[in-house]
Amino acid sequence: MESDTQQIALGLRRGDVVVLEALVEQYQYRLVRYLIYLLGRRDWVDDLVQETWLRVLRRGSSYDGQSRFEPWLFRVARNIAVDAMRKRRMFSLDSNDDGGVRPAPASDEPSPFTLAARTEDAERVARSLQTLEPVFREALVLRFQEDFSLQEISAIVGAPVSTVASRIYRGLATLRPQFKGETA
Amino acid sequence: MNIHHHESFQHLIDESLAGGIAAEREQFLREHLDTCAPCQEYLSTSKRIIAGLGGFSFEVDPSLNARVLASLRRPARPRHRRWALISVAAVVLTMSGSFVDLQFGRLIGSVFDIQVQQRLLAFWIVPSLCVFLLFPLLPLLSKAGIRREERTL
Repeated sequence: MESDTQQIALGLRRGDVVVLEALVEQYQYRLVRYLIYLLGRRDWVDDLVQETWLRVLRRGSSYDGQSRFEPWLFRVARNIAVDAMRKRRMFSLDSNDDGGVRPAPASDEPSPFTLAARTEDAERVARSLQTLEPVFREALVLRFQEDFSLQEISAIVGAPVSTVASRIYRGLATLRPQFKGETA
Repeated sequence: MNIHHHESFQHLIDESLAGGIAAEREQFLREHLDTCAPCQEYLSTSKRIIAGLGGFSFEVDPSLNARVLASLRRPARPRHRRWALISVAAVVLTMSGSFVDLQFGRLIGSVFDIQVQQRLLAFWIVPSLCVFLLFPLLPLLSKAGIRREERTL
């Protein structure tokens, strides 16, 4: 009997739209969330999501079904997002500048994180998330929201496991001051 | 306990949360946490941050799924037709350029009373024929490029 991943791989190889539709239903929200974390903005996300699925349709044959589908999907989405950012001359996610915070984009509008915060802790986190380096935000969402292992995150972002771990530590450290002096 | 002692355990807490810690060290950390209030607070704050990261509910445009599905069902634009158009355009441009250049060469030849037509034929018509033969191969070259890119995904 074929595993789920092998069935997905087979469906993608055949360009089976029914398989793709099921994948869209299953992963759409997670893709949207990941891209918002990655970009720190909402307005580009829908186009990038659409482009991601089209690329999955066109190049799905490169997914071999030997490993989980999600990291492969997120890797595709990331490549598209990075290309889009480069085209729009915003910034490079893979820059060597691996530290510090980046000024928030010049805008009076509330960040997508502020708008989406549903709890008090989320509101606190949202205050710092917008100014956090995208690579740190990305590491945090992939580890704590997507529950990927360090190895899977490493494969998605194309960075060594030690770099990914370091990004998670630094991401947490940057958000920590929002909770300073408080106990649970 | 000195501050460096706490720092090393707090780093261990970070490692534990990131998922990169061996069971033995995890047990060592648990034992320390049972007796250390500052490290307990550090862990508690970390957990609140992680809970905060889970406290977002992003709105997804209800029409997005429909748009994505519609674009997936839409038949892909045949790539060969695009390449055929590019090939024809390239050949027409090259041949036109050759023709203009040939006429210009004839004019120069008549002014300076020299025979340049044979050379022009060699320099322009032959490359034009090469381009004509090369362009139909471009879709194949393009496919090979796509395959190479996929391996890096």
